[in-house]
Amino acid sequence: MKHILGIDASTTACSAAVLTGDTIAAWRFEAMERGQAERLNPMIGEAMDEAGIGFGDLSLVAVTTGPGAFTGLRIGLACARAISLAAGVPLAGITTFDALARAVSDDERGAMAAAGGRLLVCVEAKRRDVFVQLFDADLAPVGEAGAMDGEAARVALADGYYLLAGDGAEHLRPMLAGNPHVRFSAALAPPDARHVAAIGAARGPSPQAPRPFYIRPPDVRLPARG
Amino acid sequence: MIVLGIETSCDETAAAIVTDAREIRANKVLSQLAEHAPYGGVVPEIAARSHLDHVDRLVREALAEAGAKLSDMDAIAVTGGPGLIGGVIVGAVTAKTLAQVLGKPLINVNHLEAHALTCRLTHDVAFPYLLLLVTGGHSQLVAVEGVGRYRVMGTTIDDAVGEAFDKTAKLLGLPYPGGPAVERAAKAGDASRFALPRPLLGKPGCDFSFSGLKTAVAQTVEGLGPAPSEQDVADVAAAFQATAAEALSRRTRNALETFASAFPRARTLVVAGGVAANGAIRNELAALAGEHGFDLVAPPPALCSDNAAMVAWAGLERMKLGLTDALDFKARPRWPLGEVRAT
Repeated sequence: MKHILGIDASTTACSAAVLTGDTIAAWRFEAMERGQAERLNPMIGEAMDEAGIGFGDLSLVAVTTGPGAFTGLRIGLACARAISLAAGVPLAGITTFDALARAVSDDERGAMAAAGGRLLVCVEAKRRDVFVQLFDADLAPVGEAGAMDGEAARVALADGYYLLAGDGAEHLRPMLAGNPHVRFSAALAPPDARHVAAIGAARGPSPQAPRPFYIRPPDVRLPARG
Repeated sequence: MIVLGIETSCDETAAAIVTDAREIRANKVLSQLAEHAPYGGVVPEIAARSHLDHVDRLVREALAEAGAKLSDMDAIAVTGGPGLIGGVIVGAVTAKTLAQVLGKPLINVNHLEAHALTCRLTHDVAFPYLLLLVTGGHSQLVAVEGVGRYRVMGTTIDDAVGEAFDKTAKLLGLPYPGGPAVERAAKAGDASRFALPRPLLGKPGCDFSFSGLKTAVAQTVEGLGPAPSEQDVADVAAAFQATAAEALSRRTRNALETFASAFPRARTLVVAGGVAANGAIRNELAALAGEHGFDLVAPPPALCSDNAAMVAWAGLERMKLGLTDALDFKARPRWPLGEVRAT
């Protein structure tokens, strides 16, 4: 039986899940603004213990690569890369867009497809704007990833039918209130390691070591000293 | 015992492997200097990104150099602060995960403690000793009484001496980092040409102050006009360096006298941290130590600047006392030496 570990620390939660075959054997999920660097390893340990497996039993570790909070992305990726280094397990990098899109129910997707709509996945960026990417009803991306605030969303979503999902979607709601062609999915939670693991299982290892998908360059500020 | 150390608290990504026989089996350091140089200082987000890009490769290279496997390690030690928190977290999560997967002890090392104990790796110095710790962010005089037992006798009331070096270099149009650049320029300079104010002259105690000196350098450079000559630059660099070294030595003298009466059998003055690589400062301190019948111990420059061998060594010292840490330890941007856990 194949065991896949999914992990996420990319936005405002921390989670770890063990997928055994097509069943989630163990899952830990905690909402948190920060503190993922303290909680991720213990949560992985708890999930692995509950699933009754060791790191040597893993066939894959799937991790969110971003976009999201810069520090959070690095926590998940540093952890995944160290598991790979120490246990020789291959890695799969999953974007937070893919992970959030996966949380949308089949019913919602079906209704969206029937209306000829598209899915706009919105990632919490802990800033005024949110990270966004468009998907079709089969959860294939149909546009580049980017960032937009409420005003940009009002203009960009003026025509066509859209289903908004992801933990950044609420930020856009006030500016879209008057648009009858925009619906909000029930899937508005942060990324979840169960979905990360499931996508990893479907896709297999990434050809190259997963790298962070920051979208934004560093904000260069005045130098600090350590 | 053999320990892997990881260091990512500022602008060096480092991994090293050290044994309790004081043998450095590998010491890999990747400087991010070129990435930060355009900004005239370390940019935290650039540093954190670079640490993630390179830390696992450096661990692999350290293992290859040591001819060892991860599973040979008896523990994983990592800098858990103080430092630029985004970078510290990358190292901390990497170390936590390696320890978790390997089922080996994890040791959360204070970066300043690692500098403070380096002389025991390089020179087997016995406790207690007086330490002058001088880095880009810290200037402290510390009575080191044992592992985890650090009595801070003096510290800077404003800027660290390393900051004053960097600022002086910037004012003189010298490259970043300022320490080595100022030292090079000072070689051809006449320190007596400019009389800079001597910080805290005549004041008791062993705290430091470098902001007044920094301001005086700025005023001196301004007085040179828009295009100072190479000789002007060398003279200012020499005057600044001599004044800074004299101030460090004078305040260390006060600490040494207090320390020697508290520990009559102690005989060692140690200088550590990146600024300890400066030759003028070493010379002043060697003379001071000699006057008091002390030996000056200064680790080689490669172990004074940030490195992971010192982290691995501090990890070994702590592990011998049973001081290991749990997977949920919190990385800290600020972590004064006086708050390091001793039990």
